Amino acid sequence: MTTVPPEAAAQPLNPPATHAPPRNFTYWLSTTNHKDIGILYLGLGALFFLIGGVEALVMRLQLAVPGNTLLRGETYNEFFTLHGTTMIFLAVMPMLLGFSNYLVPLQIGAKDMAFPRLNAFGFWLSALGGLTLYLSLLEGPPSMGWFAYAPLNERPFSMSLGTDFWAAALLLTGTGTTLTAINIIVTASRYRAVGMGLWKMPLFSWMAYVNSFIIVFAFPALNAALIMLEVDRVLSGHFFSHGGSPVLWQHYFWLFGHPEVYIMILPAWGIISEVIPVFSRKPIFGYEFVAGSTLAIAVLSFAVYAHHMFAVGFARPVNLAFAASTMLIAVPTGIKVTNWVATLWKGSIRFTVPMLYALAFILQFTFGGITGVSFAVLPIDWQVTDTYYVVAHLHYVLMGGTLFALLSGLHFYYPKMTGRMLSDALGKLAFWMIVLGFNGVFLVQHVLGLMGMPRRVYTYPDLPGWGALNMISTVGAFVLGLGLLLTLINLVVSRRLGRVAGDNPWQAWTLEWLTSSPPPKSNFSRLPPVHSSRPLWDLQHPHDPDHKRPRRHDKGGHIREEEKEHHQ
Amino acid sequence: MTASPVPASETQPPEHIDRNRQSNGFWGMAAFLATDVVMFTLLLVANIYLRRYSHGPGQASLDPGTTFWYSLGLWASSGVLILAERLRRQTELSGLLYLLTAGLGLVFVYGQVKEYLRLTHLGARVDVNLFYTGFYTVTGLHGLHVLVGALALIVAAVLRFGGRLGERRSGFTGGLGLYWHFVDGVWAVLFAVLYLWSGP
Repeated sequence: MTTVPPEAAAQPLNPPATHAPPRNFTYWLSTTNHKDIGILYLGLGALFFLIGGVEALVMRLQLAVPGNTLLRGETYNEFFTLHGTTMIFLAVMPMLLGFSNYLVPLQIGAKDMAFPRLNAFGFWLSALGGLTLYLSLLEGPPSMGWFAYAPLNERPFSMSLGTDFWAAALLLTGTGTTLTAINIIVTASRYRAVGMGLWKMPLFSWMAYVNSFIIVFAFPALNAALIMLEVDRVLSGHFFSHGGSPVLWQHYFWLFGHPEVYIMILPAWGIISEVIPVFSRKPIFGYEFVAGSTLAIAVLSFAVYAHHMFAVGFARPVNLAFAASTMLIAVPTGIKVTNWVATLWKGSIRFTVPMLYALAFILQFTFGGITGVSFAVLPIDWQVTDTYYVVAHLHYVLMGGTLFALLSGLHFYYPKMTGRMLSDALGKLAFWMIVLGFNGVFLVQHVLGLMGMPRRVYTYPDLPGWGALNMISTVGAFVLGLGLLLTLINLVVSRRLGRVAGDNPWQAWTLEWLTSSPPPKSNFSRLPPVHSSRPLWDLQHPHDPDHKRPRRHDKGGHIREEEKEHHQ
Repeated sequence: MTASPVPASETQPPEHIDRNRQSNGFWGMAAFLATDVVMFTLLLVANIYLRRYSHGPGQASLDPGTTFWYSLGLWASSGVLILAERLRRQTELSGLLYLLTAGLGLVFVYGQVKEYLRLTHLGARVDVNLFYTGFYTVTGLHGLHVLVGALALIVAAVLRFGGRLGERRSGFTGGLGLYWHFVDGVWAVLFAVLYLWSGP
């Protein structure tokens, strides 16, 4: 920060940026500002979300009726491989990193990330990875599924170079992601505003911070597995076939793959933990528990990985250990859900679009979480593994969870990023279409899975009920697609036509709402003193700041009488 | 707004006053090396696990004697690097020591290449069995680390000669130092496990 001359004290707290360089192609190519990189990440994620979404719609068309012949079997395999890889590595991850990049420095009161150029490098690596994956179309795309089980990923079963493109793409995006995570770790460790201790950091930053540690320890497992795969494929090594161990691939892949699930949900939880208190007009209930349970999840996320491998046939004690850890990880997750619900309790709730998405998130994510725990019961897992029940479960947590949180965050932070409000009417229409569409697609798939419909088959016989349920699923997919298209239109149109937002349109209390919308290049010229996790509340209520408020509980541990009805 | 906010310059320390002793570059590198620890561990575990099922030429074909002398050079380079950082005020000497560090690293890589050629000649190629698939993967990755580190050391030497490796680049030197010591340490583990330990 540069020194502020004394006369600046008379000026408004954070004057809007006066002039900015033209935002042309070379500007975006060379920018190192964390907000620009954040928006680039969001754009990259949105682009690939569109591509992955179209792939999903084509697959749903193929599955709409029994015995359909729209796609050949091999083409269908390529579609679901590209869909899974695209959505996880090129849509969801970049969008979450986009939010982390944009918000962490703003929330902790820093002017940029610790390594701005490394930040840009990480983004462009990810973009190059995306390009690499789709260049495989020239050569014959990968067709072994997103978790690429050995020996299907080996040369004799995947002859085309598509699998090598896939591995290269994952190495590139994985490295980009890791570099960004390292950046966030150093930034959040060393650039917090004076007075902002770790336990006063806004919850989104908390989750992004812990998430970065998971990334740092999980992604190298994928990188190691990919290097070994390429040694096998290119140099005729023996790691996973020809005397090697195909199960070793599964171990290493899921040692990455399960933490990855939490990598994709933690920032989403962060967004929800920001949105719910703001629109309940209450501070978050149990801040320490929401933040602290994240640490438990970070550790446990590595300890549960083999629950993806119950069908492999491990010894009974191994299976039981992983079943137990899987049930255990539901505890910190449940703590979070409980705290969100307790935050809603007796709040004066405003049903804005971001809040609607957050509420849908809680319901859908909890449902997906419960079906997830059901897999910890081994016989259930053996019964439904590789069926549509798994597909339904993972989409409930990844889509009903992460995507809804992303949409919530997009509607919540759009005014900060652009200075304009999104259209409320269009937003609500899109919300209802997305909710109905999403549940229409995936709720029935639980039933299909329990009826025995296997995943990853390009068509199915006309068994009783299968055709009707699949048709419902396909119709739902198109409603969902239309809703997302409406959201995209809303995002584009409101950029010009939206109401001017002002600095703090939602009356939120964290630092990012202090600066102008959109924030100037170096974010803040002046910061308020930080004494609590809600610095703006303290600033606006000097007679009732958070840090001077008496504790909620008296010495006996009971909630004090006057706190019982305390609203803000 | 009733409470008067403090100018940002008073709430945030100027960047050159470091509350912690180490630079950002040091901590960033530390986080990066954590990823390397995981990667090397997993590759080594794969080798240890799979070598039991290996047939054909095994550990006996390796040449621990010669490799030890080259390894000694690599480990010595860590000491030279410490000296190069200690003597940072003497531009010429420090720059030469950086070059010497890089040189010792390159000599080690030369030794590795020689070992690879000898092994290949014996028929112990990467595709021959499980032991050598893992051996080449993990030593190759390590050799790549040494090569990258040596290049960065040459850059550091050039900057030092030009007097451009001052406080402002303490992140670069701090990170590079940590990296080089790590790479040397990893080799101690790899040498012990691959060359000396006969396996479980």
